[in-house]
Amino acid sequence: MNPERVVRLRIYHLLSLAAAVCVGLMIQLARVQFGPYAPVFEARSHYPLGQVVEVSPARGLIYDRDGVLLAANAPRYYLEIELRQLDGNERVIAGVVSQLLDVPIEDVFGQLTERGKSERMVRIRLTRPDEAAGRWPILVDQTIADVLNGFLADPDAPDLSGMALVPAPMRIYPSGTLAGHVLGFANQEGRGYFGVEGYYDAWLAGRSITYERGVIPPEASLEPNPPAGVNLVLTIDADVQQLVETGIREWIDDTGADSGQIIIMDPRNGEILAMAAWPQLDPNHYGPWLEDEEPEPPPAEAHETESVPVSQQDARVISPAVSAQYEPGSTFKVLVMAAALDAGVVTPDQVFVDTGQIEVGGHVIRNWDGDAWGPQTMVGCLQHSLNVCLAYVSSQELGAGLLYDYLERFGIGRLTGIDLAGEIVGSLRTPNDPTWTESDLGTNAFGQGVSVTPIQLITAVGAVANGGVMVQPHIVRQVVGSQGVYSPGTTVLGRPISAETAATLTQMLAQSLSAETRFGNIAGYAMAGKTGTAQIPSEMGYDPTWTVASFIGWGPVSDPRFIVLVRLDRPETSPWGSVVAAPLFHDVVERLVLILEIPPDALRAQMAAGG
Amino acid sequence: MAPLRVGNVKPRRRHASRQAPWRKQLRLTGGVALPLIIFLVISAIYLAVNAKVANAGREVLSLERELAALERENAELVTRLAMETNPDRMMARAMSLGFVPTAPEQVEFLVVDGYSGEPEFVAPLPSTSSQEEDGLLSPAYTETLGDWLTRLLGGVEAAP
Repeated sequence: MNPERVVRLRIYHLLSLAAAVCVGLMIQLARVQFGPYAPVFEARSHYPLGQVVEVSPARGLIYDRDGVLLAANAPRYYLEIELRQLDGNERVIAGVVSQLLDVPIEDVFGQLTERGKSERMVRIRLTRPDEAAGRWPILVDQTIADVLNGFLADPDAPDLSGMALVPAPMRIYPSGTLAGHVLGFANQEGRGYFGVEGYYDAWLAGRSITYERGVIPPEASLEPNPPAGVNLVLTIDADVQQLVETGIREWIDDTGADSGQIIIMDPRNGEILAMAAWPQLDPNHYGPWLEDEEPEPPPAEAHETESVPVSQQDARVISPAVSAQYEPGSTFKVLVMAAALDAGVVTPDQVFVDTGQIEVGGHVIRNWDGDAWGPQTMVGCLQHSLNVCLAYVSSQELGAGLLYDYLERFGIGRLTGIDLAGEIVGSLRTPNDPTWTESDLGTNAFGQGVSVTPIQLITAVGAVANGGVMVQPHIVRQVVGSQGVYSPGTTVLGRPISAETAATLTQMLAQSLSAETRFGNIAGYAMAGKTGTAQIPSEMGYDPTWTVASFIGWGPVSDPRFIVLVRLDRPETSPWGSVVAAPLFHDVVERLVLILEIPPDALRAQMAAGG
Repeated sequence: MAPLRVGNVKPRRRHASRQAPWRKQLRLTGGVALPLIIFLVISAIYLAVNAKVANAGREVLSLERELAALERENAELVTRLAMETNPDRMMARAMSLGFVPTAPEQVEFLVVDGYSGEPEFVAPLPSTSSQEEDGLLSPAYTETLGDWLTRLLGGVEAAP
């Protein structure tokens, strides 16, 4: 054959082949564009080329003032099953999960074989039956996850093909119940409720970032770091917290009380050193504290509340120090006497002749023992906690105008602004309220007809301990974020009384404490304090049986470093604050001075004198 | 003389083509093959660059997974350590070793000149907050050939 013809033929063949490929491509393009699967490709064209990824930062950690980790994050894993990858091994997976996690095998097997209900279901998350919630996703810890990952990697192990462990960061509280009421809790979705977790939820959570990432081919870009949540250092001292939690647990056992609280605050700067409540709350297992459903976050703003009888209040309030109000009883006399002294209507040595009863606004007021105590100085009135005397002071000497003016200056009926979620304002009726009667003037003098939260009372009385300056209580000492460290300073709420009045009242209370309430005295340290025994209001009037026994005291008198509020609800062994609450104050303070490294008065005086 | 030379050349070329027709075919083939080769080279380069990017992307994904796993492991260890050293457990262990709480009368206070107590604890910075500003790779690693051409034709300078 002619060589030229051969070459030409070869070229024609080559070009024909290329033309055939081109025609094929065009046919395929036309088929994609207009064929039966055109809608599929049309829909696919609207998909993003990348994968939308949401990156959430780790929730901020919470420490006590000395670095004890109180709230951390640890990985937990959801068990998910890719149903399309199951190849007859459903029974094996069910068996392994059942054995490791104590879930009924038939329950797991049922979940794996239910896919017939929906053809579109391709992946399921295994759940376990739960009495309260119906069904709850199975979460496994690192140890179980390691076992399952070992099975997945080992061809000789039980066939778990299709199983995937999906990490889910979980909030863990390593110290268990310690400071549980202060911390609140974060749920499985990482949302904080109550306490510090609720108040600082947005700061702790940080901010999630959503971005699109190319997957075909994989995009060579690092995952962006979302703004991390802040770490918090609390004012709480874990050692002091443990001390008061141990103390309240033992005293609840000894006195048979229903519930109780202890708060310790530094009156100079409002730092809460400990805040304990019984029953204890373990934030790792907060479920029993929620009745029916996930709680809504408490409103940030103040809301007025009617006086709620203590008997109606749930003893299982998650943050009772700020969310549970009660009638404070005789501990409230500290504020009334402070008002009278500061207004100059009484002096410590002024004598009042106690006849055993007084009528205020048509309401007859009697002493706690029903007796007449005869001539008593104001110190004696406090020492013997005479209702009649204080009702006289409030109604005859102070009058409604001065009394309620001072109580408002002390912040009664207002939020303290403490950085814990769910604070309520308590209840104080004033002459401006239509429900106020003149008899309130008498009963309020000894803490009846007025409701406070424990944090309100300790803040108000803290002003007496701090030379007349009332400071805002706070629970966070440091906020550590990516921008640096922020330390909230001391916030002065006001100066309800003068420094002279505060010093005078402190001496009066120290004198009355040393003379009367022997359990409240601490060897080597001068303390000031006041007992309280409050009746419990109910729908039918005051409960004739049960009381709220309390004690509020501070020290050392010469340089107050702490103020302690002790409250026990419905003690069985004795109704009196002097018998059940004051000894608990004694036990706590006796060790508190050691933890805080406060030398006895004599040694401090010697050191101050340069000895 | 010049027209004569021109007249002499043309007939010689035609003659050469007639004598060796494969030269014409070679020119034709070369004309088709050269663009094809250039196209293939550019495609190969483009493919190589994309393959490198894809490879780097897979490596980044892999490293990120490893990082996440290490962070989870670290978080788990931190939590376990905190559990082992929580005040209740430390108290119980101290008790089991024979320690007892100090009675107030057993405590002796000493004045130590210059000692002002333990330094204040400062919490560590939150994790992952330090790299917030430079979380993405330099465009040098991600710029495609198309991006490069666009930038070149558009006169846009690359980001550092």
